[in-house]
Amino acid sequence: MISQFFVLSQRGDSIVFRDYRGDVPKGSAEIFFRKVKFWKEDGGEEAPPVFNVDGVNYFHVKVVGLLFVATSRTNLSPSLVLELLQRISRVIKDYLGVLNEDSLRKNFVLVYELLDEVVDFGYVQTTSTEILKSYIFNEPIMIDAGRLPPLGPAAMFMQGTKRMPGTAITKSVVANEPGGRKREEIFVDIIEKISITFSSSGYILTSEIDGTIQMKSYLTGNPEIRLALNEDLSIGKAGGRSVYDYGGSAGSGAVILDDCNFHESVHLDSFDVDRTLTLVPPDGEFPVMNYRITQEFKPPFRINTLIEEAGSLKAEVILKIRAEFPSDITANTILVQMPLPTYTSRVSFELEPGAVGQTTDFKESNKRLEWSLKKVLGGSDHTLRAKLTFSQESHGNITKEAGPVSMTFTIPMYNPSRLQVKYLQIAKKSKTYNPYRWVRYVTQANSYVARI
Amino acid sequence: MSGHDSKYFSTTKKGEIPELKEELNSQYKDKRKDAVKKVIAAMTVGKDVSSLFTDVVNCMQTENLELKKLVYLYLINYAKSQPDLAILAVNTFVKDSQDPNPLIRALAVRTMGCIRVDKITEYLCDPLQRCLKDDDPYVRKTAAICVAKLYDINAELVEDRGFLDALKDLISDNNPMVVANAVAALAEIQESSSRPIFEITSHTLSKLLTALNECTEWGQVFILDALSKYKAADAREAENIVERVTPRLQHANCAVVLSAVKMILQQMELITSTDVVRNLCKKMAPPLVTLLSAEPEIQYVALRNINLIVQKRPTILAHEIKVFFCKYNDPIYVKMEKLEIMIKLASDRNIDQVLLEFKEYATEVDVDFVRKAVRAIGRCAIKLERAAERCISVLLELIKIKVNYVVQEAIIVIKDIFRRYPNTYESIIATLCESLDTLDEPEAKASMIWIIGEYAERIDNADELLESFLESFPEEPPQVQLQLLTATVKLFLKKPTEGPQQMIQVVLNNATVETDNPDLRDRAYIYWRLLSTDPEAAKDVVLAEKPVISDDSNQLDPSLLDELLSNIATLSSVYHKPPEAFITRVKTTQKTEDEEYADAGEQGYSDSPAGVAESGVSPPASTAIAQHPAARQPATPAAPALPDLLDLGMDNSNSAIVSADQPAAPAGPPLPVVLPASSGQGLQISAQLVRRDGQVFYSMMFENNSQVPLDGFMIQFNKNTFGLAAGGQLQVPQLLPGTSASTLLPMVLFQNISPGPPNTLLQVAVKNNQQPVWYFNDKIYFHVLFTEDGRMERSTFLETWKSLPDSNEVSRDFPSSVINGVETTLDRLASSNMFFIAKRKHANQEVLYLSAKIPQGIPFLIELTTVIGTPGVKCAIKTPSPEMAPLFFEAVETLLKS
Repeated sequence: MISQFFVLSQRGDSIVFRDYRGDVPKGSAEIFFRKVKFWKEDGGEEAPPVFNVDGVNYFHVKVVGLLFVATSRTNLSPSLVLELLQRISRVIKDYLGVLNEDSLRKNFVLVYELLDEVVDFGYVQTTSTEILKSYIFNEPIMIDAGRLPPLGPAAMFMQGTKRMPGTAITKSVVANEPGGRKREEIFVDIIEKISITFSSSGYILTSEIDGTIQMKSYLTGNPEIRLALNEDLSIGKAGGRSVYDYGGSAGSGAVILDDCNFHESVHLDSFDVDRTLTLVPPDGEFPVMNYRITQEFKPPFRINTLIEEAGSLKAEVILKIRAEFPSDITANTILVQMPLPTYTSRVSFELEPGAVGQTTDFKESNKRLEWSLKKVLGGSDHTLRAKLTFSQESHGNITKEAGPVSMTFTIPMYNPSRLQVKYLQIAKKSKTYNPYRWVRYVTQANSYVARI
Repeated sequence: MSGHDSKYFSTTKKGEIPELKEELNSQYKDKRKDAVKKVIAAMTVGKDVSSLFTDVVNCMQTENLELKKLVYLYLINYAKSQPDLAILAVNTFVKDSQDPNPLIRALAVRTMGCIRVDKITEYLCDPLQRCLKDDDPYVRKTAAICVAKLYDINAELVEDRGFLDALKDLISDNNPMVVANAVAALAEIQESSSRPIFEITSHTLSKLLTALNECTEWGQVFILDALSKYKAADAREAENIVERVTPRLQHANCAVVLSAVKMILQQMELITSTDVVRNLCKKMAPPLVTLLSAEPEIQYVALRNINLIVQKRPTILAHEIKVFFCKYNDPIYVKMEKLEIMIKLASDRNIDQVLLEFKEYATEVDVDFVRKAVRAIGRCAIKLERAAERCISVLLELIKIKVNYVVQEAIIVIKDIFRRYPNTYESIIATLCESLDTLDEPEAKASMIWIIGEYAERIDNADELLESFLESFPEEPPQVQLQLLTATVKLFLKKPTEGPQQMIQVVLNNATVETDNPDLRDRAYIYWRLLSTDPEAAKDVVLAEKPVISDDSNQLDPSLLDELLSNIATLSSVYHKPPEAFITRVKTTQKTEDEEYADAGEQGYSDSPAGVAESGVSPPASTAIAQHPAARQPATPAAPALPDLLDLGMDNSNSAIVSADQPAAPAGPPLPVVLPASSGQGLQISAQLVRRDGQVFYSMMFENNSQVPLDGFMIQFNKNTFGLAAGGQLQVPQLLPGTSASTLLPMVLFQNISPGPPNTLLQVAVKNNQQPVWYFNDKIYFHVLFTEDGRMERSTFLETWKSLPDSNEVSRDFPSSVINGVETTLDRLASSNMFFIAKRKHANQEVLYLSAKIPQGIPFLIELTTVIGTPGVKCAIKTPSPEMAPLFFEAVETLLKS
């Protein structure tokens, strides 16, 4: 069981502090913050999420720049506590619409009320927004969401296409719309985070998709929902074949999940037969299904890096990215980064002629080249030339001292796994009932790396 | 509600409290509610608003749940500081606990349980009794937790009022939430009680397994954790349990998955069918890997657990090494753990792939990570003989990049590879020597010097290379000095020419005369003596073949590993330490107002918790060091060659304990003679164990009655019951004939513990440079082990006495002992750390109660019965370690006599 729960700002101010058992001294928040801040003397290394100081165990997760912390004196399950901290942040976000220091401070009474229902004497009672609704009486005070970066993976839809109402994900599940009536709608987001490592010759060393089907329901009366996935979806690596064999499954075969798990509200009665999930979605945002794929997929971007030495104190880096997805799809907020040799003193950039929405930078402090592109259309390619000047002669092989090139990006309405929600059925008698249904796909880079 | 809560935080001027007071007493509901909010806001930022207690409590009687909750929140915070006023709230609490609204009933017992004020607790029992049987599951589940709260405040009350039975009944409740809380409460109560309260029988097992399917995710964790203590009767039952638990692996909540894994691993121990085991391993792999898709914090916990699991069952993830490859954006703490697991999973089959990764990591930005990657390559070379050559070529490639810390780390691991595969890879020495000038870290320097010394005969200019280091000898760190000393001796023995001879003189002079470092000086003297008496013997010793080091990547001791595995999914499995090493919270039953006493009672874990914390918090760094015991051996290559010196020479890490003025003659009665001059060729030794300032010393006196000066005294203790061993070096100066010297040798406990029943035998060996080794027997006086923290509070004494079973009580009569004066006897016993607790008269007998404690927190509760001034004392003791009783009685008898 946990002894205390608190939320600290980035500066270490305690925003919320709840003591459940009184067996950990009051100064724990300060002790914790000092320890995390100065984990290594130079502050360079991040503190692990679980550690022990003077017999007190500290657990923490970072959520939108805030530290969610719990303490305990017992040998309890750390994954339980870390998971709980994540869930508390999610519940609070469900209630407040937006999670940040400001909204927490404005709603501290509600937050304390939530904390008292979520945990009793250090034991988790429930983290379901749905269940909590019957015990919580304070109403949230909404803050102006427009100017705030929202939380969570679904936040990427904010910059997405116009078809999607941007406010949805910053809407509290309990507060009413200004108009009085709640809008009936449900969001189903298929979010895939992809990790790829390319070898220096462009060959894929590892690739992985971490996917989530995320749901957020604003439907009244909690109707039952049916989600149909690809019929040819299969789970578990086919008999005997290991992850390393990319050969057979390439091309347009079935979607093969290595492993998946489901939210507890999901009924899998017909899943084995026709790949449909039945559930009564609780209020609040929750993952219906998490899945993991190591089956080969087509990488959305190819990265080409060329380094040419020009004399002993100069070199040129040519970075080329090629978008290998359909031309009706656009990737957003692309950032290409590459560490340069430590003795690089100056970099001059040359963008391709007519480049729009591209910026370049050389980060002096960590000797890193950064190239950001607002948008990249499917099928297009872009090149950056960077002329490097060195303060000393290189040791001979620049490629060993620079790179790898890494990329972050977001691609809405695209998912490399080809997992699909074929249909979303809402079981409700009335014919006139036709709530808004949003099924959205998005792909994000997790660790997208090309070695050079 | 209007406006923003944050307005309550706005600073007000002087009259804040009176202003609030007025608002709290307002006739308008809304105003009162706003006022309470302001009070709570002030409370949360640490302002003292306790003076408003009465006014806030007045707002408690309301139908408005929102307001009621606020008032309760306030009460929990301030009731303790205002216990007399808190009683004002009792009536409302009791009334609320019978409210028609279940939420209010639950809220009342929940809050009452959080208020640790006796007067409130008294009134809690009746409502709690009712709520445990309430119709509403929300009330029952709140009441279940409340029993645990009450137990924490007053365990006796819980037992007297039969709440434990009520709680056990709730295990069969039809609401899974209630079951889960009942299980959690019982598990906690069991934890703090020494009596069996919550034992899982096969009957409760099946009930809980059924509840598991309907529980919330958190309830599932409570139940799984409670069930993990259940020992299945046979393989069949184990298989049945596993079958019920396996579906939990599919859960989206990582805590559920890990608790299920723990349960399955535990039952697997009993399952005999290899097919079933193999199948289970197959089932566990994907969910374990999936944990690595969670948030990095969870990944870290998963990786620390997987680290343990693959040590026990390497096959589970043998084919999954790729998922442990580091991602570019992994936090450093995740990367470090992944590296560790990659080494463990590295095999001849995947080593090429793994090396490619390590090489890539070794060129990344984070220095610690790079170093660990380089070390990982070395560890793979040591682990996989067939891959050693490939590993070395990768290391050479890295050295060529000439990044300073990479080069140094590479040299350190190459030294280990040379130890593992002697005379195999010397061809690369030339490449290594190119980097000689850039080495500035002690460990790297020492490693390079070791290599030069070890292969001095094959390096043409070995003497020049070593000489270049010698110039700065006095400034070098001890590690490098020791290595230089040894390497120069090796060089001299291998190439006894003029140059090396001069060098050795310089080194020996530096290391004996010029240095303050006793380790260095001792080693230098040993070499000096060896070289001057018998150079051939010196060769045998210094150039002896070294034991081959082995792969150290499975470094955990099997018994520790088993213990940690039974603690999978707990903190223990993350710290890789047994729970008692970091859990300081014991038995909360006797938590009194006086916190200091409670603390004293916990001294059982006398190892400084800070130390535990330090190593617990930085697993990556500390394990990295701890894992190299074998690999570090070359730093003292002479050590294995000198076993005859009773292993004395090299183990002096504790010598700092001996302060300079320590060998002064200890005052007091003469020491018993343990080695008479007649048997010691004129050397007489008197010695006795004593306790001073909380530490055990071996007080010794040496008398030289022989005709020759004696020097170079060393001492060693054989295995004994308490693992007593020298905590430093024996500090005895040269003894001229006819002189004597006394010394206090600090002792440490639990070093080499002899098995078998406890006894007081202490076998000692002493040697000097002139005589053979002398062996003699001494006696361990048990009372020197009594620690200073053995004092017990009266209530703790009673509690402990009661908690120990009667079988732990032992008594003995001392017919010849007499107690003439109670006070003087107690004073004398107190000076030996036997502490007086209470006394009573029984007829004409005096009954005294005392307590004592020996290291590792083992208490002795003592009852002495005697008639003052008349021979005959009866001594009864109770202790968790009754096997120590004979030793204890002996000690008491001695103390009563003296």
